[in-house]
Amino acid sequence: MKQKGKGIGCMWYPIGFTVAANPSAATVKVNEDGTATLLTGTVETGQGSLTVLGQIAAEELGISTDDVHVVSADTDTTPMDTGAIASRTTYVTGNAIKLAAEKAKEILFEVAAPMLNVKPSQLEAVDRKVQVKGFPQRNLPISEVALQAQFVQGRPPIGSASFNPPTVDMDPETGQGKPFSTYVYATQIAEVEVDDETGQVDVLYMSAAHDCGTAINPMLVEGQIQGGISMGVGFALQEEMLFDEKGVQINPNLTNYIMPTSLDMPEIDVDIVENFDPTGPFGAKGVGEPTAVPTAAAICNAIFDAVGVRVTSLPATAEKVLKLIKEKRANENKQLAPAE
Amino acid sequence: MDENVKTAEREVTLERLREIDDDLRLPAVPEQVSYPIETLIPEARTQTPAVGQRASRPDGRLHGLGQTKYIDDLSFPGMIHAKIKRAGISKARVKNIDVSEAEKMPGVMATLVGSEIPVNSFGPSYQDQPVMVNGTVFHAGDPVAAVAATTEQLALDALDKIKIDYEPLEAVYDPIEAMKDNAPQVHEGESNIYSSKVIQKGDVEQGFEASHRIYENTFSTQMVEHVPMEPHASIADWDGNGRVTLHSSLGRITLGRADIARTLNMPINRIRVIATVVGGNFGGKNEITTEPILALLSKKTGRPVKGVYTREDEFMSSTTRHPFIMDYKTGMSKDGKILARKVRLVCDGGAYCSWSETTLGKACILSAGPYNIENLYVEAYAVYTNKTMTGAMRGFGAPQVCFAYESQMDDMAHDLGIDPLDIRRMNAFHEGSASPTGQVLESVVVRDSLEMAAERFGWQDWNK
Repeated sequence: MKQKGKGIGCMWYPIGFTVAANPSAATVKVNEDGTATLLTGTVETGQGSLTVLGQIAAEELGISTDDVHVVSADTDTTPMDTGAIASRTTYVTGNAIKLAAEKAKEILFEVAAPMLNVKPSQLEAVDRKVQVKGFPQRNLPISEVALQAQFVQGRPPIGSASFNPPTVDMDPETGQGKPFSTYVYATQIAEVEVDDETGQVDVLYMSAAHDCGTAINPMLVEGQIQGGISMGVGFALQEEMLFDEKGVQINPNLTNYIMPTSLDMPEIDVDIVENFDPTGPFGAKGVGEPTAVPTAAAICNAIFDAVGVRVTSLPATAEKVLKLIKEKRANENKQLAPAE
Repeated sequence: MDENVKTAEREVTLERLREIDDDLRLPAVPEQVSYPIETLIPEARTQTPAVGQRASRPDGRLHGLGQTKYIDDLSFPGMIHAKIKRAGISKARVKNIDVSEAEKMPGVMATLVGSEIPVNSFGPSYQDQPVMVNGTVFHAGDPVAAVAATTEQLALDALDKIKIDYEPLEAVYDPIEAMKDNAPQVHEGESNIYSSKVIQKGDVEQGFEASHRIYENTFSTQMVEHVPMEPHASIADWDGNGRVTLHSSLGRITLGRADIARTLNMPINRIRVIATVVGGNFGGKNEITTEPILALLSKKTGRPVKGVYTREDEFMSSTTRHPFIMDYKTGMSKDGKILARKVRLVCDGGAYCSWSETTLGKACILSAGPYNIENLYVEAYAVYTNKTMTGAMRGFGAPQVCFAYESQMDDMAHDLGIDPLDIRRMNAFHEGSASPTGQVLESVVVRDSLEMAAERFGWQDWNK
């Protein structure tokens, strides 16, 4: 019979390296038409990081995502970056980019201030305009300011900056210290169906509520969460590298190493927990890795709720779950025996 | 007047040209009648403010059209192909490597063995990993020799002609076995334990004494692969000025360049690493693999050399997720508060350290879960075994410990007759909680995430 169950997986996860320096540097160039070019040494690995980084630069300059072109991943031309690792790109590279864009913006403000008869500190960049705070009608198009800066005043609006998360060394004996600048939190709840005659587990539904600070791009956050859950489903139920007694892998192929496909995916509802981290760029933290963290826990707890067996070693394959169900039944029968 | 008409005509023509251009660019995309809001791409990308917009990815369209150029889609004039011979034996001394038969094959341009690598070691924490085997094999996926030939198939065929004499050595595969005093040593040294960590907070023994009930469980997790859709791939081009350009699927080009410079014994400014859009990383492309081998083969042949991993290479030789063995002992009050927790983590560190140090550290800190625990003791060990190396993978030890602490949490809730949601609410970090390392936590929203997920799931009203 098929039995349904629900289970929670809750987690916390840090952003960036454990204590070790993991800096990022960035350069932002505002072109004479008000568009911008961003140079970063990070690599787009499929998660959409370059889009998010472009959005951060755009936000600081008061222009749109489409107005920013991102040049990345060439050691000859782009500034150093610790790379797409440790869920650090939005937070660390993002902070570097925000600082770099701020510097380019300062030049724009210095150029615009006399044009608008105010001080640079009275200006803000909004909707592709440089405008006087509190008096939005007193404004200049950013393109006009950029053109003026570059070709009239000879001050190209370019900014470079770097960022490294502040940490405190951990005591080698007690581990006390501040290993990370910030953390994110998340909960995933799984609904599963377990066939108690075969041990087969189907994940039917997953509700995922993740904190990432400000969601710079909610669509990409959702994408990360959905991808992380698929990785978590494989980790929970299917994937395992197997070795023979001589240490040689016996399933180094996708025929015998079973990955979840779209058909194995549950229906997913994603919620982004409202949060703002004052140390992140526009309040953002990160979301990459945490998405794959609580999935297996949630699924195994749902299996426990469904059929009352505790899987203590992953993956929870059908064989393993069936064996546990049989053991449980045998135990229950034993307990009944003396009563007869 | 006439001029105006002409201008208008020209504009129309230009617009028509653009339409034709668009049609040419997007032949395979069928016209859609309506788009959901989130796919109104130009809208979100052109809006201000930019933050919070569901802006589409510029690479997404190219992916959808199959126009993204991954490494294997790139080709350069005169380019040849490299393939790697794997050891196939998990611990052995290499007595002899004979590449002469392979070199005689038509189409084979060059071979390379470990002794030809200028500095044959690298690694992010410890430089314990050779680029190619030099004397000793540490796991079955170790690269022993490389061949560059005019086609991929010829290079593969040539691998079979390479003769290697091995003297098998005693190996160890189980991390618990490997920790024992009399275990065979994976690397020369006194112990297979190559990293250990401790976290201590409060007094666990006192906490256990005060506990209503104590729960002890052992959990374990398996080794898994990242399985990126695009396997590791690079193209090396050594030019006449002695500069080498590498087009690579590396996810961390700055560190990669430093490692390439180290292994080739070259100044950093003579190396250029260009990454493309990577077809999936998940932590598996955080360090160099064959880049120095390809660079040296390019130097030998004067040709650009491409090397793309087969799926088997990917499984056997790239990094994987650490299997963990986790002992959890937790003391609970009658009403479900965690009073003390003792954790022992053993992580199967594979043949080389790679990112095990970091993984162990993160797992250690995170092993308590997002819960307030006054009395905590965690000890953790990374152990060498003669298996595929383990390294960075999405979560760095966190999915493993989360599986353990959350499984035990539900067992305890069940035993104490408390709802799994309530027991978590009761113990969860709050703003200003002190982490296991004594860090005061800010922007903490564990409870909010619990409430939100439970609300969406319909936790209270859910029926079997």
